Amino acid sequence: MKELLGILDGNTFMLSDSRGDVDPSPDYPAGLFAWDTRFLSKWVLTIDGERLHALSTDDLQYFESRFFLVPGEPTHYVDAKTSVIRHRSLGGAFEERLTVLNHRDEPVVLTLRMEIDSDFADVFDAREARSLPGRAAKFVEPGRLRLCHQRDRHVSETIVTSTEPAEFDTDGLTFRIELDAHANWSTTIRAIGTIQGAGGRDVRENLHGYEQVRPEKQRELREWLGRAPKLTCDSETLEDAYRRSLIDLAALQYTGLTSQVRLLATGLPWYMTVFGRHSLITGFQTLPFMPEIARNALWVLALLQGGRIDDFRDEEPGKILHEIRYGEPGGFEDTPYTTYYGTADATPLFVVLLDEYERWTGDADTVRLMEYEARSALRWLDTYGNLMDDGYVWYECRSPGGLENQGWKDSWNAISYSDGRLPGKPRASCELQGYAYDAKMRAARLARRFWNDPAYADQLEREAADLRTRFNRDFWMPDRGYYALALDAEGGQVDALASNMGHLLWSGIVEESRAGQVADHLLSRPLFSGWGVRTLADDQAWYNPIGYHTGAIWPWDNSIIALGLRRYGFAEQAARLAVTMVEASRYFGGRMPEAFAGYDRRLTKYPVQYPRACSPHCSSAGTPLMLLRTLLGLRPHHDHLTIDPAIPEALGRIELIGIPGRWGRTDAFGRGRVSLDPE
Amino acid sequence: MADPTAEFFARVEQRGPDLLPTKARGTLRFDLRRDGEVDHWFVAINRGNVLVSHELRDADCVVATDKALFDRCALGEAQVVAAYNRNDVTVQGNLPLLLMFRRAFPSPPGTRDPRERIRERFAGRGRERERERQR
Repeated sequence: MKELLGILDGNTFMLSDSRGDVDPSPDYPAGLFAWDTRFLSKWVLTIDGERLHALSTDDLQYFESRFFLVPGEPTHYVDAKTSVIRHRSLGGAFEERLTVLNHRDEPVVLTLRMEIDSDFADVFDAREARSLPGRAAKFVEPGRLRLCHQRDRHVSETIVTSTEPAEFDTDGLTFRIELDAHANWSTTIRAIGTIQGAGGRDVRENLHGYEQVRPEKQRELREWLGRAPKLTCDSETLEDAYRRSLIDLAALQYTGLTSQVRLLATGLPWYMTVFGRHSLITGFQTLPFMPEIARNALWVLALLQGGRIDDFRDEEPGKILHEIRYGEPGGFEDTPYTTYYGTADATPLFVVLLDEYERWTGDADTVRLMEYEARSALRWLDTYGNLMDDGYVWYECRSPGGLENQGWKDSWNAISYSDGRLPGKPRASCELQGYAYDAKMRAARLARRFWNDPAYADQLEREAADLRTRFNRDFWMPDRGYYALALDAEGGQVDALASNMGHLLWSGIVEESRAGQVADHLLSRPLFSGWGVRTLADDQAWYNPIGYHTGAIWPWDNSIIALGLRRYGFAEQAARLAVTMVEASRYFGGRMPEAFAGYDRRLTKYPVQYPRACSPHCSSAGTPLMLLRTLLGLRPHHDHLTIDPAIPEALGRIELIGIPGRWGRTDAFGRGRVSLDPE
Repeated sequence: MADPTAEFFARVEQRGPDLLPTKARGTLRFDLRRDGEVDHWFVAINRGNVLVSHELRDADCVVATDKALFDRCALGEAQVVAAYNRNDVTVQGNLPLLLMFRRAFPSPPGTRDPRERIRERFAGRGRERERERQR
């Protein structure tokens, strides 16, 4: 696969080849995208009709990069009589500063051209090269090129301008430049994408943060990094991963149309929008560091909570959203994704995060303000979630464009029996029951302390206790020594060995006497690759090391499992998982991808990339943060933070300075004392 | 002839506290175009209680669309967020207020509770199983 270079700013990104060019490509969504729409599908620079090639590229900031180029195809002999610098940035608009340098000892006349086009495709259409319904038009207007796509009242536009005069035509712009000996010349080309909304104006015009200028972005990033706790540790790899994560979490934030708070885009390039589950998980992971991520996630998901039964969107009252899409196909209901609700885990996780958020921040107002939404979510667990009327959380897709599986492993083959058969529907995957248990336990605390409803608290605790008992009876497989991945529609156990049961430790639904067996399975060979816990064990029928949810390793999954292991006292196992994750991060430049391949560590020596994995990905960026919490044993307790480090010798000393919370700011220190057998 | 929009607002006025969060507060105005005229529906929400009038007053959130489309929203046939995304509905002011008010719109006509369909398919097997296990 050709390597693409990207810059991003919230849900806006530009992906190009190493020269800075965008050519139409069937296998990856190259171009300028914003709000799930491609605004530039062609962006090709030539000098005197010749393509350029890169001598070097610089990633300056997540929103800014620079390419040094010379004309011609790459050969051992570089004819460097002319060179070009492309310096591009995102901040509302896409800007590219072109500088042409003449290295000759005499004047020269050059023709510089940018070929430009836009197909206004949705990010998934861009992959499948489907053409959009509607009309396209290109207009050459004084001083600008305007590319348009219209479908009924929906109008998308890309407007291209240049600071230096250019000849515009419908396919791009041309500069005829005369350069003196050793002189240089510059222009800034600007492309701005708009989607027309209120009163024919750009829908984003009123939003804070739009058209942000670069110095402002740099200042914001500095402040963001300044607000985060300071990490000093013996492991440079962990320090790098921490810093990279903080930057990626800044990069993925955007101001949503719908909410006027900072939302978190999920993953570049496929999921540059809010996903309920990942906003909640990342909010949880980052609470000891950046509690505003959790608060913003709760805010937007409360606002968009399901209000009615809508089969097309898999929506029900009280259900928390799966994803938002801003693109045209959702608007015209070609797909259900404008606001899609096909997930059964976001609803309990919403309640889990609300409680955890208060424990860290002491922000009781938010808990009181969200009582209605939290109660609606809890009611969903007992009604629409309880599809089979047996007290478990089930799911079944009703939307024609919806997801077969509605837990975090939402691939069609992710929930299987050990022998490869797929269960009938509806299905009740095990981690959903854990989340529901945890949600009820936590909501009981909220009801007692903040909602002034002790009777409801008692009821929730009774229900949770009952759920735990039944779960340990119905999901446990005594002959295998682990929990079933799911129940099928007949109530039978779906017996594949998968990572999901690690989440059960995190939720606390596992009986103490069984936790050891669960921990052993998680950290031993069929499931554990040496780099991390695979989504599916390598002795299962559907196992594939590059199967998205059937063998690949997901960093955030591992971060949840590690915290779960600590909850049950398996400090050593948690430390092992943390070490292997940190080691893996080194091979990705500190940036954990969405997932990487599940090959055995003894086989590959390095973690193999998963093709088409999102990177950065918000919950992968949250992973090093959650691992730090796990290693330091951070736990809010009344109005202070308790610290109980269990750090492997391999990571040495860890100091985290300025952890925000209800205590103000506090510090945590730990020394590597846990000795692990070499992997 | 029945007017789905008028019936919808009458229902919201009656059932507001059941449909909307108690903390809901603010004003919306729906400007509905038909035959070259514009009908105004002014909706004041206070702690979930809803008052509806035809006043042309400033509102926190002003929503403009065709009466025909709003009728379809009022019947549950069309969804307001999708309509907004395809620019058939325009919004000025406080968009979150409209998103909150979205909860008041009914399900598409003919929608059944998904649990009913499951009950028919499985004829209460869940309960039965549970009873069996307890025996």
